[in-house]
Amino acid sequence: MLMSSGVSDAFLAVSASASSRSPTPPALATGRRLFSALLPPSSSLSSSNRHFGPRRRLGRRSSTMAARAAAQRLENVDELIDSVETFLFDCDGVIWKGDKLIDGVPGTLDMLRSKGKRLVFVTNNSTKSRKQYGKKFETLGLSVTEEEIFASSFAAAAYLKSIDFPKDKKVYVIGEDGILKELELAGYQYLGGPVGAVVVGFDRYFNYYKVQYGTLCVRENPGCLFIATNRDAVTHLTDAQEWAGGGSMVGAICGSTQREPLVVGKPSTFMMDYLANKFGILKSQICMVGDRLDTDILFGQNGGCKTLLVLSGVTSLQMLQSPSNSIQPDFYTNKISDLVTLKAAAV
Amino acid sequence: MFATRTAALRSLRARRSSLTSHSFLSSLPPPAAMTTANGTKSPSTSQPLLPQAAQSLVDSVDAFLFDCDGVIWKGDKLIEGVPHALQALRSSGKKLVFVTNNSTKSRKQYARKFTSLGLDVSEEEIFSSSFAAAMFLKLRNFPREKKVYVIGEEGILEELKQAGFSCLGGPEDGKKKVELKTNFWFEHDKSVGAVVVGLDQYINYYKLQYATLCIRENPGCLFIATNRDAVGHMTDLQEWPGAGCMVAAVCGSTQKEPIVVGKPSTFLMDFLLERFQIDTTRMCMVGDRLDTDILFGKNAGCKTLLVLSGVTTMSDLQDPSNEIHPDYYASSVSDVVDLSDSLTKGQ
Repeated sequence: MLMSSGVSDAFLAVSASASSRSPTPPALATGRRLFSALLPPSSSLSSSNRHFGPRRRLGRRSSTMAARAAAQRLENVDELIDSVETFLFDCDGVIWKGDKLIDGVPGTLDMLRSKGKRLVFVTNNSTKSRKQYGKKFETLGLSVTEEEIFASSFAAAAYLKSIDFPKDKKVYVIGEDGILKELELAGYQYLGGPVGAVVVGFDRYFNYYKVQYGTLCVRENPGCLFIATNRDAVTHLTDAQEWAGGGSMVGAICGSTQREPLVVGKPSTFMMDYLANKFGILKSQICMVGDRLDTDILFGQNGGCKTLLVLSGVTSLQMLQSPSNSIQPDFYTNKISDLVTLKAAAV
Repeated sequence: MFATRTAALRSLRARRSSLTSHSFLSSLPPPAAMTTANGTKSPSTSQPLLPQAAQSLVDSVDAFLFDCDGVIWKGDKLIEGVPHALQALRSSGKKLVFVTNNSTKSRKQYARKFTSLGLDVSEEEIFSSSFAAAMFLKLRNFPREKKVYVIGEEGILEELKQAGFSCLGGPEDGKKKVELKTNFWFEHDKSVGAVVVGLDQYINYYKLQYATLCIRENPGCLFIATNRDAVGHMTDLQEWPGAGCMVAAVCGSTQKEPIVVGKPSTFLMDFLLERFQIDTTRMCMVGDRLDTDILFGKNAGCKTLLVLSGVTTMSDLQDPSNEIHPDYYASSVSDVVDLSDSLTKGQ
């Protein structure tokens, strides 16, 4: 954040970056120097982010293809539904907020199923395992099976499996139960044995001990992997307000290790590739439905599928249409039940 | 320690000659060739502090600026040879200044630490990043009716209070917990006009959420970082995550960059210049970290000396990806004195 112009001009603010160049101080008239130049802080994200799929920077950036046309308000629901075989839904801000279902969701899911559409739920929230999410869906009265759920907790374990991470190495987890459960299911241990990977996700019990442990593993254990379930800045952990998200814990470890993580959750296409492979579906036959531009919509675009932004979560119409936003979904609408009500209106 | 001054000098000369004869030269290899951006090899611009260089450095400098962690001490243990070196420099009329990014103590508290370690250093010679944060707000005329939320330790709180600002947060909030459940509302003070983030061993989710809400929701709220050091020698035995960790955590949830008041920002230099009225070209910054200490020195137009007694190793310095080249490098602070003819002769 740059300082406002009303400030005394004897400042120079440079954020710590090994690659920032020092400016040449102004020539001396007297024996003293005043530092009056203002430099913008450099970005804290290096370009060495590794995700799966096309090379992308995290953040509010669109694909490297030509700028997309502005998002259209969803009107022709039939056309969208007919052109797509699988609907991918984000959860927080799309299906529920905290533990409260968003209006009209059950009917919408039923309608899509009755039309033979496959439903998949892709969430960056790593606090629960797929099984635990299955139970949450059940208590909310939705019939969704475990196999239809892809949480970033699962993604972390699936990633380790995909690279044949050795079973005699341990995984250090800065995160919650969801990650631990998925690792257990995949046959990995988080107790005993040398640490070969650190997995970081949202952690409400975050503290300095965990930071130091994770930091030492990443810095000192040769070849230790640094994996992030996701980097969401804020998220609706309760229905009432936004909360600091996994991006905070991951940022902390980046800060102390000066390394960028492998991100397995959205917008990385790891989960997209995984489920497309698992279900044998074409990306062009998929529509990603989400409430967040820099994770859900970017995920869909990176993966080459259709994208629908719902305004029932963190993103407002104003944010979508702001000149500083460069991520344009194919369509936008208020909430997923519009898939039912707009359809009915068209009849 | 020594019976007579002569004995002390004799011991020094012996040490110095042994240093130049074999162990020093073998422990500090000559500058390696470095690969430049276009792939050609060019000689490193950093020189080892050999006797002639040491003498020329001492002759050309009126003030020595010292980093503390990894240069003067590690945790609460003095680095070998430091007391003698500081004494010799003072005796020869050099000004000594201590510029530390460690914000856990105020200048007053640092003066006490120096005293307890047997070093004679006054408060006016110390410039800590905790002091920098308070001065930044003062110079900016931060309104007294606004509050400052602190993710950090006592040092920041003390400096802010001394400058007349009202604070929230600090170590006390390290005991607070959050409840993530339906209808729970996390309250934050709307009169917070600035968030200051520094090293905080009591970091937790409550503080992250509080700071996140202030920065995202209080109009015009400043986001100030005392520094962004990744790790540091908080104890004598090993490195620990530094402020860079806490700052990056808040960047992760706010998606904003902070104003950095500590090194490598040259903000503190203005205070130094006011006090000492010495041209920066007649100053030498002595530090153990390239991206803070050395960059600070270069940004300000000082000579720079990297000591290898802290976080940076020879291979870090010579790594092709390193773009920060100090004028000189040496094993530790005592080399400046031991290798300098005039200082060992006690002139």
